[in-house]
Amino acid sequence: MATVAKPTARVDLGPNLPAANVQLPAVRNYQQVNDDIIATLRPTKAWFAGLSVAILCLLIGATAWTYQIYMGLGVAGYAPPVMWGVYIVTFVFWVGIGHAGTLISAILYLFRAGFRTTIYRCAEAMTVFAVMTAGLFPILHLGRPWKFFYLIPYPNWRLIWPQFKSPLVWDVFAILTYLTVSTTFLYIGLVPDLAALRDRETHPVRKKIYGMLSLGWRNSDREWRHFARAYLFLAAFSTPLVLSVHSVVSFDFAMSLVPGWHATLFAPYFVAGAIFSGIGMVFTIGIPLRKYFNLKHIITLNDLDAAAKLCLFTSLVVGLAYLTEFQIAWMSGNDFEQEYFWNRLFGQWAWSAWIMLICNMVLPLSLFSQKLRRNPAWLFILSIFINIGMWFERFVIVIPSLSHEFEPWQWSSYAPTWVDYAILAGSFGWFSMWFLLFIKQLPVIAIAEVKEIIPPKLRRAHPHADHIDTAGRHMDYEPDTPGEYA
Amino acid sequence: MPESSQSGVRRREFLKILGASGAATAAIGCSSDRVEKLIPYLNHPDETVPGVSNYYASTCRECSAGCGVLLETRDGRTFKLEGNPAHPLNRGALCARGQSAVQGLYNPDRYRGPMIRKGDALQPATWDQALQLLRQKLDGLGGGAAGAVFLNKHETGSFPAFLDAWLAAHGIPAHLSHDAFADQAVIAANRQSYGVAWPSLDFGAARLIVSFGADFLDGWGASVTHQLDFADARAKLEGAPRFVYIGPRRSLTGLNADQWIACTPGTELAIANALRGQGSIDDAAHAAGVDPAVLRALQQEIGAAKPSLVLAGGGTPDGTELALAVNALNQQLGNVGRTVLPDRPITSFEGIASDAEIGDAIERMRAGQVPLLMVRGVNPAFTFPKSARVAEAIAKVPFKVSFSSYPDETSEMCDLVLPDHHPIESWGDAQPMADVMSLQQPGMDPVYDTRQTADVLLALAKGNPRAGAQFAAPNYMRWLIDRFPGGTAAFTTALEKGVASGSLAAKPAARPAVKVSRPAAPVGQGSGDFFLVVYPSPVLGEHGANKPWLQELPDPVTKICWQSWVEVNTETAKRLGIDSGDILTVETAQGKVTAPAYVYMGIAPNTVALAFGQGHTAYGRYAKGVGVNPAELLPTGFDPRSGALAWTATKAKIAKTGAFLPLVTTEGSSRQHGRGIARAVAVEELGQLPEKRHEEMPGDASHEYLPGLRSPLASDATGELGSSTKRKEEGMYDPGHWSGMAKRRWAMTIDLARCTGCSACVTACYAENNIPTVGAAFQSTATAQYEGQAGGNIIKGREMNWIRLERYWEGGEDGGAFEARFVPMLCQHCGNAPCEPVCPVYATYHSPDGLNVQVYNRCVGTRYCSNNCPYKVRYFNWFGYGEPARPQYAWPERMSWQLNPDVTVRGKGVMEKCTFCLQRIREAEHRARAEGREVQPNEFTTACAQACPSKAIVFGDAADEQWSVAKLAQDRRAYHVFHEELNTFPAVVYLQKVNHPAPAAPAGA
Repeated sequence: MATVAKPTARVDLGPNLPAANVQLPAVRNYQQVNDDIIATLRPTKAWFAGLSVAILCLLIGATAWTYQIYMGLGVAGYAPPVMWGVYIVTFVFWVGIGHAGTLISAILYLFRAGFRTTIYRCAEAMTVFAVMTAGLFPILHLGRPWKFFYLIPYPNWRLIWPQFKSPLVWDVFAILTYLTVSTTFLYIGLVPDLAALRDRETHPVRKKIYGMLSLGWRNSDREWRHFARAYLFLAAFSTPLVLSVHSVVSFDFAMSLVPGWHATLFAPYFVAGAIFSGIGMVFTIGIPLRKYFNLKHIITLNDLDAAAKLCLFTSLVVGLAYLTEFQIAWMSGNDFEQEYFWNRLFGQWAWSAWIMLICNMVLPLSLFSQKLRRNPAWLFILSIFINIGMWFERFVIVIPSLSHEFEPWQWSSYAPTWVDYAILAGSFGWFSMWFLLFIKQLPVIAIAEVKEIIPPKLRRAHPHADHIDTAGRHMDYEPDTPGEYA
Repeated sequence: MPESSQSGVRRREFLKILGASGAATAAIGCSSDRVEKLIPYLNHPDETVPGVSNYYASTCRECSAGCGVLLETRDGRTFKLEGNPAHPLNRGALCARGQSAVQGLYNPDRYRGPMIRKGDALQPATWDQALQLLRQKLDGLGGGAAGAVFLNKHETGSFPAFLDAWLAAHGIPAHLSHDAFADQAVIAANRQSYGVAWPSLDFGAARLIVSFGADFLDGWGASVTHQLDFADARAKLEGAPRFVYIGPRRSLTGLNADQWIACTPGTELAIANALRGQGSIDDAAHAAGVDPAVLRALQQEIGAAKPSLVLAGGGTPDGTELALAVNALNQQLGNVGRTVLPDRPITSFEGIASDAEIGDAIERMRAGQVPLLMVRGVNPAFTFPKSARVAEAIAKVPFKVSFSSYPDETSEMCDLVLPDHHPIESWGDAQPMADVMSLQQPGMDPVYDTRQTADVLLALAKGNPRAGAQFAAPNYMRWLIDRFPGGTAAFTTALEKGVASGSLAAKPAARPAVKVSRPAAPVGQGSGDFFLVVYPSPVLGEHGANKPWLQELPDPVTKICWQSWVEVNTETAKRLGIDSGDILTVETAQGKVTAPAYVYMGIAPNTVALAFGQGHTAYGRYAKGVGVNPAELLPTGFDPRSGALAWTATKAKIAKTGAFLPLVTTEGSSRQHGRGIARAVAVEELGQLPEKRHEEMPGDASHEYLPGLRSPLASDATGELGSSTKRKEEGMYDPGHWSGMAKRRWAMTIDLARCTGCSACVTACYAENNIPTVGAAFQSTATAQYEGQAGGNIIKGREMNWIRLERYWEGGEDGGAFEARFVPMLCQHCGNAPCEPVCPVYATYHSPDGLNVQVYNRCVGTRYCSNNCPYKVRYFNWFGYGEPARPQYAWPERMSWQLNPDVTVRGKGVMEKCTFCLQRIREAEHRARAEGREVQPNEFTTACAQACPSKAIVFGDAADEQWSVAKLAQDRRAYHVFHEELNTFPAVVYLQKVNHPAPAAPAGA
């Protein structure tokens, strides 16, 4: 009989990534998966409060933007030659956040990393909303946002096209592609779950909506076959985007000749940073969810531990990139570059650079300790530092570089104003609003996929129960771990 | 079929309606502004062709010099002043103050019409009421007329004599002709030595120039003339005079000197005497705090360099003595007749009254002896030391009349205001040189209900039996013509040129000998550790504070605008723990002011300095409340020989208040960090410079790097006209294209050996290109940190100066000698422009003739171009400076009349930058095409090059050898900024500055 024993000490402390079959020792059966996950969809007072705060932040940001459109960009903190400010910093920050989601949902899927299953939906939703947030900023930061469509190649009688040499045009394509693909991926993954929701729904209107969204999913073998194919295809399609989108974003900087921007290192550096920041955000979102939605038996410490290792790895890559930048500046023999990097560490912007270095390079080293990796509270605290550190990484890239360029006469300083902060808060409000709406409308954990990693519920009368694997397929199966089905 | 087509609307009809209504909706929906009507002239005025400028030759009245200007006028509005090339004084150049005259003309704070005091306030009145009131007062004067005072701004020409005659007819004594910033000590000394107020100075003939605080590049004397001559002299390179500046503070003139000898204020006389062998060098050096070896070397050098030119500037209580000593030194060195030319005098300062005379008049007011005060164009309540208590004295006058156009401190106290026309609306003449008449004519009808004072006086004379016959002319223009030799015909001819030989008025009578009732105490009175030097602001002058162009023009030395500052020596500041921006109080026995510190190497350690020009308590929205007035600090004492106010006289205490205010400065780093932006070469090394290779220069015939990023439309623009396929592809980028555009390469050379850093080019650019000023206090609204602070936007670096004057320091880190390098920085119109490929919407690209073009309509404001511009010469419209409904609106009521109709006013959220005066290029091309000819070499130039009083900027087609710019670009001294590092192929070529080190190069000099 396919019941699962109580968690054992060995499973809790043991190294991660055992056979996928023992991912969730505390989950009894499919019914429990459905119940536990769908139970999270019940709105609570705390949720309403959170949503209100998010919408309030959004409204503050929207008001600030309206004011900015009316008065002009001067209400923000721009101090030429610092022509890009908090908006671009925040844009890169949010695009980066998105990347971990795709990494977890797509790349780790291709690599069959088991720990992704329980956190991927949350991460993928985060991706979509982060890209939706990021996509606002290039428009927000335009001098004439009402003309943003000039950047889109549409046929016109003036025969004027966008300048395809400009990285900003590449950006438009990259962001739109990314948004499309990750939204599709999220949606395709949701289809079986939507069907599950439909089946439990009693309200006729909601049932109808779930019915339409689930595309008439009937759980047939043929559907599962197509689903698996589509899922695999989208995962494969998304995988290069993880690398390309943030590379393109990095080209916004690397293609220019600004000291501190003009570096061939930028593409891998940005991708690693993006994944790093995204995993940070996964912790920031996932750990409270795990706690308040009572999902500790689904999102296990093993999963957090694995994600923390990924976090540590990307932190090391990012740290290496930081050091490489300094080394290149040192060895370049280029005065502009050297002076800029000296200024970054010891000049007017030292405070921001040190925030970046400590948050992104030093603190994550704590993850070498398994004890801390398996400590959700520490992971949450660390993730906040990572979020701050990664925001400051982009700050350090964008602002000090511009303030300390070729022409010393035009060196300057920069300080954001309340409008910058309001729009920054608005972006968090916008993101949180979507995310909060999402977690109460759709399952934040992939029901169907979680079921794949627990033993199937079998009828007692089944003649050869032992020969059905976790995916429900008949086969001759020898458990390789003793006690696996105990 | 026919049936169906009958029912309902037919397709064709439907489309027609759709088209028409669509167009109507579009036409209505798209015009966000009010609908204006175009009404053609019923009777077409003479000479006016819509869209074509008329140029009226006139005379600049912004200072006493009287330069010739051309008033560029279109459709009845004068919008730009240009130097009159035919005028001997300024020869086509014009300083920043002259350029800004239009902002006085259209100033939003001008009096709209006559005002009469009712109770505490001035109330608008009609001219009839106002004239009647004044007539009544004049008639009621009786015997008191002899006590009446008329203060007039100093001017030459026939008006002073006219005025005196009118005053005499009313029994009033002759007027007092006042110029607060004229160097009266030097004028008095020159009168005594040479019999003229101001001899011509031939800088070019000199081998050595020594200036004792004579700031001939800061507005001292006929400053445009002096600057032209000085720049020409320095452009001789090997043959150029070395320049030594002696004074406690290194002014702009001082920064142009090769050597600065920092002396204690008040010791200049001792040094001058010692140099001419009267008194010991050692004593003078000791008193001045200078190394005696330096003075000995200078003495030797003066002896060796013949001829030389020694100049003195006043300001100290013994200014006249100093000037006399210097005149004697010139005599002794044989310079008179060679570099000092009294036989070709500049007569701009003839007839000027001394400050002491004004002071006496003020005392008479205080004593209640003045029944009537008339003031025109001067503002003693602002310019006189507060210790003279001018306002209190004026208040004692029973009836005060102002002819001022602006609500300044003095006219705000008056009982009657009869606002004068602006000089651009007036008739008149000036006498800048003995045999040169400079005529003044209006460029347009009056903006407001004002009247020229001369006309007012004529009108008043009509009812007066004593004066009626003498002043029968209907107006002052007629009065002038009647006296003009040759009458109307000759006058009309002369007006075309603006200058005529001869003189309209008799030479002003010599002023009575100066009797100084309150002689100034010698320098160094009062308690305090520091000598206080007060100098006239070279940018604002006496009347400039209400003109936003001048407020926004950074001081050439400190680069501060919209603010007052206290200059403190670097060492002193270190000792006292003062940083630039720390708020200091400066206190003398007379008063106290509070202003931020500016830590400056170029001031003696025992001295602090303040510029005179800010600190108005009235004078309109741009001036009021900006900065502080150092007049608060000054004692009232006059140079006993000339009656000049002693500005450098007292000692002051300084103290930190603990507050900090960022300086409103356009300077980022004042050091080049070895980046080769402003380069210089010592005169001995000139010969070692390598010859330039042709391909390094912008005029490269092969056009290899031309153009950068082509217009996406060029290929199609002339598709039908081009014959071959290749031409179709290249369009106007094909050198064989009929327009010939691609054969040209517009380029510019800037000779740093000539450039003095005066910044006239900056203001010329503002005037020509409709650049908004952004620093007024009301424009800082919505700028979070600096809400409502004057210059708030500039602290944030948002100034829009398409061309800016960078001033880099070289040396002096250890307290030793330092050098200033000025470099005008503007869009370099790179052949391989970094800004072009990064613009996502093609708003910036390369034109076939080598211009880096900015398309405002296409710009969405990503600002990537600016990020990628190594020269940082792109400027963004952070606010709606052109939108009247916004607080940042840069051209409040009537200021917008100044806008150049050839140039777009840029909208909020777009990038802008130097266009190389594209409108002038196209105008010249169109004119040439209309006349069926090619554009002639040097036929036109940009606004900055045109205004430059140093002739440092030369613009033209570098691909055509006949243009001057093509030759200059091949100069040995030529270099590009950042080209070697960044491969930008700039079209702007700088020619290195040439330094003239001291012959023996004494250490520490």
